[in-house]
Amino acid sequence: MNEPSLVSMPTLTIGKLTASVPIIQGGMGVGISLSSLASAVAREGGIGIVAAAGIGMLEEDGTTNYEEACTRRLKSEIRKAKALAGSQGIIGVNIMVAQSNYKDLVMAAVEAKADLIVSGAGLPLSLPEYTQGSEVMLVPIVSSARSAHVILRRWYERYDRLPDAIVVEGPLAGGHLGFKPEELLEETLTLESLLPGVLQEAETFGNLKGVKIPVIAAGGVFSGEDIQKFLRLGASGVQMATRFVATEECDASPAFKQTYINARKEDIVLIKSPVGLPGRAINNSFLREISEGLRVPLRCPFHCIKTCNGQESPYCIALALVQAFHGKFKNGFAFVGANGYRISEIVSVNRLMASLKEEYQRVVQNLELLPPLLSPI
Amino acid sequence: MTKAEVFEKVKKFIVDEFKVSEDQIKDEASFLEDLGFDSLDVSTLVQDVENMFDIRIPDEDLDKLTTVGELVNYVAEKKA
Ligand SMILES: Cc1cc2nc3c(=O)[nH]c(=O)nc-3n(C[C@H](O)[C@H](O)[C@H](O)COP(=O)(O)O)c2cc1C
Repeated sequence: MNEPSLVSMPTLTIGKLTASVPIIQGGMGVGISLSSLASAVAREGGIGIVAAAGIGMLEEDGTTNYEEACTRRLKSEIRKAKALAGSQGIIGVNIMVAQSNYKDLVMAAVEAKADLIVSGAGLPLSLPEYTQGSEVMLVPIVSSARSAHVILRRWYERYDRLPDAIVVEGPLAGGHLGFKPEELLEETLTLESLLPGVLQEAETFGNLKGVKIPVIAAGGVFSGEDIQKFLRLGASGVQMATRFVATEECDASPAFKQTYINARKEDIVLIKSPVGLPGRAINNSFLREISEGLRVPLRCPFHCIKTCNGQESPYCIALALVQAFHGKFKNGFAFVGANGYRISEIVSVNRLMASLKEEYQRVVQNLELLPPLLSPI
Repeated sequence: MTKAEVFEKVKKFIVDEFKVSEDQIKDEASFLEDLGFDSLDVSTLVQDVENMFDIRIPDEDLDKLTTVGELVNYVAEKKA
């Protein structure tokens, strides 16, 4: 018989935090991952993430008092998530570097005692400065070994510190993507191909301080088998987002979750987001009208993203995502990962985690049952 | 340090490290549009320049440094 301990998933250690399951739930902006989802994941031993993007828009005064509404709501969601997660639960936040109020959001997350800050959509070059004196773990998201290098070098040279983990997000992820549109068409660009270079950078810089920087693989991770694959390739854990949308605890409206169930492979498309990055979403009449030029530019209410071309864009992405969060798709749309079409039911986070563990164990057991390729003599 | 001295040093560095030909490096040359840099190259260059001149360039100032001339002037002012 197999020892369960040999086949169960390893733990994930990020600095002083250890998660019993090596899964980070990816932050999903504008209301999709708040305290309900994050705490449910944390209770199951994973790392739950509250997303800061557009969070203030969920407040009543979101349009008139955006920045204050953002920090207020972020703090309250972190506190709620931590309370619901229990004393062992690990709760982090996802804050996009491109958010105009980035620094304030980081400081709010520190104040509310988030355990970690995961930060991408730009290079979080100054993050250590904004969190100085706090215990919060810092986890940049990168899309290449080069961007990992730039961050590692800057943090090491300027702040004499290193990231506590690095998330490498490949081209199959949902939401905004850190690649040029033409790169996304290259078949050779895969998470599998990006991982070794990022592992190398993490190791080179980790050695300078005698630490191991765990690397977390993200983008299209769907099954326990995928988790096993990326751990075998050297990752210390995975970040998954799309799968967590189709859970009872996910903070989005039922109609939002239903778009995932209904989506077919051909409905999942790449879009050009007003913030200047490509994104992956479920196609609908709203997105079709935009691509056909049937929508006219709005005025920009929030200036919420530094790089957003609000005046010329045919729609405000923040407003569109708030509509989607509420389940209204006439003027909204849902971001999704490339494997979203494979989802067919909404389950509890507990069930999802259990099935991932089971799939993982099955793969590991099968590998062990295989005869060794070269049997000794 | 004079502006000309800073310019020469920055120019030599860009030519050596970024494989840009010498005659492309003019005051008005934009990193992104004329020299073929991407945003990661700019971050790398800024960090190298900080080390080379022993100065610190805060993030808030990065948006103002889009051309060779702007970068050189910025450094020259700090080193004046
Ligand atoms: C609906 C949705 C919203 C997202 N919002 C954010 C966000 O606000 N910030 C961020 O860094 N990543 C965001 N992402 C990316 C995820 O955190 C994650 O890294 C990625 O989707 C992983 O791929 P997967 O969805 O295939 O698991 C979002 C993804 C989805 C599907």
